[in-house]
Amino acid sequence: MSAVLTRYETTWPNVEAVAQAHIGEGPLWLRNLRSRGLRVFQELGIPTPKVEEWKYTPLRDIAERKWELAEPGPAWFEPALPSFVEGAVRIVLVNGRFDANLSDFPRLPGLTVSPIREALTDDANPVSAVLGTIARIEKHPFGALATALFEDGVYVHLATGSVIESLIEIVHVTSGEGGVCAPRVLIVAEKDSVAKIVEVYVTDGAADSLTLPVTEVIVERGANLEHVRVQDEATTNAHIALWETRQAEGSEYRSYNVAFGGRLARTDQGIDLQGEHCITRLDGVVAATGNQLIDNHTRLDHALPNCNSFEIYKQVIDDEATVVFNGQIFVHAHAQKTDAKQTNQALLMSPKATINSKPQLEIFADDVKCTHGATVGQLEDLPLFYMRQRGIPQEMAESLLVYAFAAEVLELISVDEVKRDLEARLDRKLGTEPLR
Amino acid sequence: MLEIRNLHARVEEKEILRGIDLTVRPGEVHAIMGPNGSGKSTLANVLAGREDYEVTDGTIQLEGEDLLEMEPDARAHAGVFLAFQYPVEIPGVSNVYFLRSALNAIRKARGEEEMDSMKFMAYIREKIKLLGLKDELLQRSVNEGFSGGEKKRNEIFQMAVLEPRLCVLDETDSGLDIDALQTVAHGVNSLRSADRGFVVVTHYQRLLNFIVPDYVHVMVDGRLVKSGGKELALELEEKGYGWIEAEVAAQA
Ligand SMILES: Nc1ncnc2c1ncn2[C@@H]1O[C@H](COP(=O)(O)OP(=O)(O)OP(=O)(O)O)[C@@H](O)[C@H]1O
Ligand SMILES: [Mg+2]
Repeated sequence: MSAVLTRYETTWPNVEAVAQAHIGEGPLWLRNLRSRGLRVFQELGIPTPKVEEWKYTPLRDIAERKWELAEPGPAWFEPALPSFVEGAVRIVLVNGRFDANLSDFPRLPGLTVSPIREALTDDANPVSAVLGTIARIEKHPFGALATALFEDGVYVHLATGSVIESLIEIVHVTSGEGGVCAPRVLIVAEKDSVAKIVEVYVTDGAADSLTLPVTEVIVERGANLEHVRVQDEATTNAHIALWETRQAEGSEYRSYNVAFGGRLARTDQGIDLQGEHCITRLDGVVAATGNQLIDNHTRLDHALPNCNSFEIYKQVIDDEATVVFNGQIFVHAHAQKTDAKQTNQALLMSPKATINSKPQLEIFADDVKCTHGATVGQLEDLPLFYMRQRGIPQEMAESLLVYAFAAEVLELISVDEVKRDLEARLDRKLGTEPLR
Repeated sequence: MLEIRNLHARVEEKEILRGIDLTVRPGEVHAIMGPNGSGKSTLANVLAGREDYEVTDGTIQLEGEDLLEMEPDARAHAGVFLAFQYPVEIPGVSNVYFLRSALNAIRKARGEEEMDSMKFMAYIREKIKLLGLKDELLQRSVNEGFSGGEKKRNEIFQMAVLEPRLCVLDETDSGLDIDALQTVAHGVNSLRSADRGFVVVTHYQRLLNFIVPDYVHVMVDGRLVKSGGKELALELEEKGYGWIEAEVAAQA
């Protein structure tokens, strides 16, 4: 009898050596955090498809490659990095390192933005108290490795009651070949604060690296946060992210996971509802073309009563691309009056496009409203013919229908500039004529 | 302007059009009547280039150009417009946006300048009034949740905006109340001009009181078996199709 192979028998000596060296540096909390990361990574290894959670994420070529820790990236970029709104609070991280020259943030009352590396020398500071407490790295080898490797990142803090009118833009650039980078984001929205954040991941040209982001978000009592995450890296790059949020009583967190890039891209998004009367959105817009594999795993944990969550995934798949959606919703026995709605829809644009979707509802309370639905479809002939009969060329008609499909989510994004940017990205992505 | 010669078409192995000949000159209105299932909508859809129908024989020329060689959008650029018997719903695409895209695509194909949103709104204002369309319908998704009558008005509104050369109306009158019928007929009449041709498919003589045709043709079993002036419609209204079918059978 042969043992089931659950991990690839490879190591990443150069990367692990860096992590090993890290463990001996810095204050105790940091040494503990990083060594926890390295230990988990070494225990789990790189999972094969035999591991249920990683069944559809082919990692062999990533496992077998000899990665290095990414070098610091360039100091300027051509073409210019994405930007959404004039006068936004702008934070740029290059290969996971905070770039003060490319960043630009006015002092706003209630808002603190600081490089995480500044906190790594202190024994006790606000970052040290929470960093690594939200992300569940124990099941996520890449989040674990990133936790062992990170050297910098950005800490965004919203003081109690502060209302930040400006959009907060966090731009992550991955540059170079064969490098692993671990961009780290920590967002703490204190009681009753309000803000809108867009995080965007891009590459410097056709980068061929491995981006391993870990984003942790704390939404305290009554806080209200909109968080758009845009992953639009080159299709030469790999991207495996861990994104986790904890919500307290009466808070609202609207999150949008936009995934267009990467040759292999996987995002695990988890939200823990640890207070009553929370409102949560975790929506997604996915567009995959060529040979891309884009995999999104979402986990929503209703621990307490009277929370409402909404999840809509819209996935457009063309050519020979594959999209994976796995949506877990746990409703604990105590979480009565939970209202959780999940929908995931795929639009297949070619006969070789693939979707694997798996809703996973585990409900232990009896007085709840939980629904889920999944559909897979193609562009319909009749609307296409109708549009063409009115003179709209085939390509444009398709683009309109695809946009209409994605619009249910895109229209929810409240910052117009972000919405329009995403529409344009979707058009570019699908090679259709811009027409809006 | 439109020359149909010996047109045969089939759908899924079934021959539906079995030799149609029809000439429409600029300025003319041709009504086509005939029993259910005789092939009227098939003819309309073949003119518009719907791919479900396979043309097995014959020719269609518009202004001397071979229509059968053209894609549906190219036909629209050349001036063909089909008001659908069953207008299609397109959730998520606003009516006004859809129509502006269509108009601009046509203008672009003709080498004319595209219209921006402001100019477009000014341009359509009169036409909205003409068709008595509620403003609110413009912002809604194309035909989604429209009543039967609203859908038909919307078709003629689109026609008025796009100003085609050849207008094909497939049962635009069915499902309309009496007032709406007059509004729609008025909309159509306002588009009548010396350089525009109409093919109007209908079951009811009533429409032809408002849109007075130059010719009435009767389609039976995929052929135009009888043609006449507008009085033929009155005769059909009175006597039904039985006598024509009998005539055809007798000739065979
Ligand atoms: N896609 C299709 N598949 C199979 N049969 C079809 C299809 N489209 C049309 N037909 C058949 O072709 C014949 C002619 O249909 P058509 O719609 O042209 O008739 P019509 O004259 O417009 O009828 P009505 O007055 O009821 O609208 C019918 O028997 C119909 O069932
Ligand atoms: Mg019909």
